[in-house]
Amino acid sequence: MQNDLIIIGAGPAGLSAAIQAASYGAKVTVVDETPYPGGKLLGQLYEEPKKGMWIGGEIAKKLYSQAVDLGVTFLFEREVWSIFPTWKVSLNNHQDLRAPNVLLATGAAERPIPIPGWTIPGVMAVGAAQVLCNLQRVRPGKRVLIVGVDILSLTIARELQWAGVDVVGMVLPPPSPFSGQKADPRFHLAALSNMSHLAPSPILRMAGNLAKAVPVNQAARFYPRKGVKIWDIPLMLRKAAIEIQGRDEVERVILADVTVEGEILNHQTQSIEVDCVCISGGLYPLAELAALAGCPFVNLPELGGQIPLHSAQLETLLPGLYVAGNITGIEGAKVAMAQGELAALSIIGRLQNNLEKMAPLIEEAMQKVKRVREEASISFHPEIVLGRRKMQALWEETLTSQSAQ
Amino acid sequence: MDEMIICRCEEIPLKTIRKTVQEGACTIREVKLQTRAGMGICQGRTCRPLVEKLLPSEKEQAAVYQISGYRLPVRPLLLQDFFKE
Repeated sequence: MQNDLIIIGAGPAGLSAAIQAASYGAKVTVVDETPYPGGKLLGQLYEEPKKGMWIGGEIAKKLYSQAVDLGVTFLFEREVWSIFPTWKVSLNNHQDLRAPNVLLATGAAERPIPIPGWTIPGVMAVGAAQVLCNLQRVRPGKRVLIVGVDILSLTIARELQWAGVDVVGMVLPPPSPFSGQKADPRFHLAALSNMSHLAPSPILRMAGNLAKAVPVNQAARFYPRKGVKIWDIPLMLRKAAIEIQGRDEVERVILADVTVEGEILNHQTQSIEVDCVCISGGLYPLAELAALAGCPFVNLPELGGQIPLHSAQLETLLPGLYVAGNITGIEGAKVAMAQGELAALSIIGRLQNNLEKMAPLIEEAMQKVKRVREEASISFHPEIVLGRRKMQALWEETLTSQSAQ
Repeated sequence: MDEMIICRCEEIPLKTIRKTVQEGACTIREVKLQTRAGMGICQGRTCRPLVEKLLPSEKEQAAVYQISGYRLPVRPLLLQDFFKE
């Protein structure tokens, strides 16, 4: 069978793109390295203000069955080890797929924050704990400490608690070249003030509002050492995990008080007994296939790091290579789904050699991405809109300089 | 901190990578060739962002650039997958 489009990644972006493209009659194959469709949707479980529960697993099921009904082919447990222009996609079972269009919907990977003892069994990235717990239905530990405070680790702390795990607290990582702002209490208070509208605890809301009202320095000084409880989990923004200890597996973590700036106060330490530590360092776009293909990159911290240069219509500079979802910048699943639909329309326009006819639909899909982004109750990077604007400017600059040559 | 492992697959500690950078390694590839960091089963998916933080910052990085240091295959592969009959 001749493919029109190969999609790499069966997460929210890939599934939505597959549905949209197939609904225009395109022959689509989706490849994923895991045994199931849904990608990171599968672990997602949280309550949205005024909207109720977001159950990613059910969304994934719906999207998958829609795609199957439209005749999309799925290849699971297949790893793509390279792509070659224009275009061959090589899989790990001797198989090569060919199509004029490839959509990279490969998502993101977790940025680790190493701290002494982080290679002891029982230490994992917070996303791994989410997969273990919500997908494999295995508790990662009985008593868990979370290192690194962000929207992802807060959400997962709640999920672990629902699964019956005792989450003994959330602390900061120690200052290092790897932790950067994530070791700074002031940064967290500023971030909390951006989320205070959904803070589940009145005290936390107060802390957030406080950070808005007074300089962050003072708010950080005011923040109680033993932490503020959020769903009964102490959120300790004035403590850092300086070492994980244990002979064959995690037994305890050494915590130290930190200054307002996050510097370690070595004389004020305590030991806390746990059997699992989850480290949250944030996400970065997984773009190695775009790099192999020779796609130009830009570095935009607002979007999560190094990202293939792409247009607002989600095309790259390489003909027939498109991107959607977290590979374009770290955002939530709803944005990824809207991007998947948009990328598919751009691809259909190219396939039918009729971008003019598709232009109004593409425009509408671009507006939808913007709308979903604005309506998102949480964002991973507060400056995401700025990052998107920078990407757009760099894309236009590059096109102009290319046409001048 | 110095003894802390940075590349888990190849068990390369922080001090080895720092020493290599001090001796002049400027890129992911140079650190990899000197220390094996990033050559294990995960192919740098875990340690690459860490090693990047230890490299000297490039003075004049173009805004749009080709990214280096990625090699195919980007996933561990059996030789039999690589060579078709």
